[in-house]
Amino acid sequence: MDQAEIILMIVRIWGVIGAVVALGFLTFGIDQVDEDAQDAYVFRPLIVPGILLIWPIVIWRWFVLATGRDHWPNRYHTRRRNHHWVGMLMPIAIIVILATGWSVRQTWPAHIAPVQLSAPQEPTQ
Amino acid sequence: MSDKNTPFFVGYLPSPGPLRWFLMTTIGLFIATFVSAGLFIGATQDAPMPSGFRFDYGPQTVTGVIELTPYPILRVTQGNELIQEGKTLMLAGQGKNGIDQRVMEADGQLRSITGIVLQRGTIDMLQVDGRARGVVDVEGTAPPMETVPLGRWSLAGEICDGKCLYGAMRPGTGLAHRACAALCLIGDVPPVFVSSQPIEGSDFMLITGPDGTVLPRAAYDFIGQFVSLEGDLERRGDVMILRIDPQTMELTAG
Amino acid sequence: MSVKYIPVQWNQNKWIYDAVMLIGVVAFLYIFLFVTPDILSHDYRINPQVHNARAFGACAFLMLTVILCIGPLARIDKRFLPLLYNRRHFGVMTTFVALSHASYIINWYFAFARSDKYEALLFANTSYTQIAGFPFEVFGVFALTTLLILAATSHDFWLKFLTPPVWKRLHSLIYVAYVAIVAHVSLGILQDQQNHVFSFIFMAGALLVAGLHAYAAWWQWRGGDSRGTVRDGWLTVGNIGEIEDGLAKIKVLPNGDRVAVFNQAGKLSAISNACAHQNGPLGEGRILDCLVTCPWHGFQYNVTDGRSPAPFTEMVPTFNLRLRGADIEVHTDPNPPGTYVEPVPLPQLQPVETLA
Repeated sequence: MDQAEIILMIVRIWGVIGAVVALGFLTFGIDQVDEDAQDAYVFRPLIVPGILLIWPIVIWRWFVLATGRDHWPNRYHTRRRNHHWVGMLMPIAIIVILATGWSVRQTWPAHIAPVQLSAPQEPTQ
Repeated sequence: MSDKNTPFFVGYLPSPGPLRWFLMTTIGLFIATFVSAGLFIGATQDAPMPSGFRFDYGPQTVTGVIELTPYPILRVTQGNELIQEGKTLMLAGQGKNGIDQRVMEADGQLRSITGIVLQRGTIDMLQVDGRARGVVDVEGTAPPMETVPLGRWSLAGEICDGKCLYGAMRPGTGLAHRACAALCLIGDVPPVFVSSQPIEGSDFMLITGPDGTVLPRAAYDFIGQFVSLEGDLERRGDVMILRIDPQTMELTAG
Repeated sequence: MSVKYIPVQWNQNKWIYDAVMLIGVVAFLYIFLFVTPDILSHDYRINPQVHNARAFGACAFLMLTVILCIGPLARIDKRFLPLLYNRRHFGVMTTFVALSHASYIINWYFAFARSDKYEALLFANTSYTQIAGFPFEVFGVFALTTLLILAATSHDFWLKFLTPPVWKRLHSLIYVAYVAIVAHVSLGILQDQQNHVFSFIFMAGALLVAGLHAYAAWWQWRGGDSRGTVRDGWLTVGNIGEIEDGLAKIKVLPNGDRVAVFNQAGKLSAISNACAHQNGPLGEGRILDCLVTCPWHGFQYNVTDGRSPAPFTEMVPTFNLRLRGADIEVHTDPNPPGTYVEPVPLPQLQPVETLA
């Protein structure tokens, strides 16, 4: 089994576990943790792709909410100040990448002529 | 702190009057950006090289001597109207595959080959029919074929897969196409080197590893880039074969 | 905001938003796909699959560039806030356009080989140690995966379930994804371009996003909300005459959170600056019909108890307030969301003119 196969196998296993989590969460977990979801069924298929992708976070939040460990002030700790980092690092990264990409560009070596370095050996049949 | 003079937008309420003109202008700019970007990006794409499949010619059947370089070529001994006797054709399979398996035992023997022509100026490649009629045994003794050694050369150019260079894909060269070319070469489609300037009237040559081996893995790191390299050149009919020396490969400057 | 979740909430502004977005995207794709081949009129045409892949790829890049300009523009000029209102629909649409780009590429450049096309995507090019010739596809795979995660978690259920700070952090991945896309294009198609119209549009777009974000961060840093001085657990907000009726003043608490002190008809109330929905800045909102209204998505709260009006159930923390001479002070510890706090009446100020 080569590396590519292993990676794809991991992706498939990830998806299968996600499907199991989705089934459990959407049939009974969601009613337990969110009163707004009770008796609301049409929106649930929309939630499935998200669970397939980030099921470990879903399990974590499900556990926190179902066991009453949710700490309400955490909901109001805004992340707005993180934008300072985005505003600094993203422009630097973009400029570095553009400059790098541009600097490694090659032009067709039309000026390089083929050169015979040595004469052929005896012809063969 | 916001001030009372700035119009305040609430999503589920009608937009405040002073904001409407601003939003209409933004909408106009937005649509104009998308229309002009679609037009300018779409209409300024580089023209692909003039090359491609010639399905319009229909399947061609020719007979000749198979030679394994190790990539199979056909030295045509009995041609047709389109492909004359004396012509040399590189042979590729369907998709990103060579036809090594089908001609493994046929080195130096006569075969009748049916396939679709790939043309880039001249006709130098055939995509062999996947069915049994693609490769058919032919009775008779294969005539001797001449190989003309041309000595050791230093060249510059690009390593591609033969099929895409011949227009199976347009564009079929460059770095955006690199992974596709690598897949073709992994599948044993004949690799080709496009030279910066022609040698004896030809700007491309079939390439192999040294001493009749397949293209070495080291060469895969250079696919789609512009490289200079050295190798032993030989002519078989009207196709040249370059047996590259992997130690000499390096990117050209600039 | 509804009591029961439904798949998508619509209103007139969202219809307009989505219609404009669709007109832009459809116009781009229609012109690229069906008009430009005749303008190009190459003797040997670009393969339709490659032409389509380029159309959808360029469109996704342009869409994401516009999306990433909305945030900083709305910070700099509040009039851009309506563009933020339905940005999530824009993002979901971008994901579908990017998926189309990927599927054209995978079904062309990575198909027709003996191996599985998804495996081929991983092993065809493994020159990870070089810059030119780097397998730029991995940047695309990363960006697409990110877009898929963001689109799949865009429903309001996820905001409430993950909590707004976690959701926001997850969705901040879009910045990394955009950088990855810049790398994907820079080490991919940009290497081959001979005609530089696309190169120019691409670089201008990427630099615009970079510049706007840098400017917005600097703007926010220069004119951002200030920290108040704290004494015995009480933070000084400002002077009693400072807050206009219907508006708020925002102060940063010692723990970095923000409090918004509102003046509603001459009475002061303090609530968390973070909206329960997406942590939007309530203090930059207004009091409309006696309710604090969030500038981002219009969520509303009673300023005295931080509760949304029935049937809605959202709540934000409240803060205790007091006046100390002419200073407004707020207690640094928030009350649990929904706790009623008696508003503090402002003393009747003498109008300045009459003093003169």
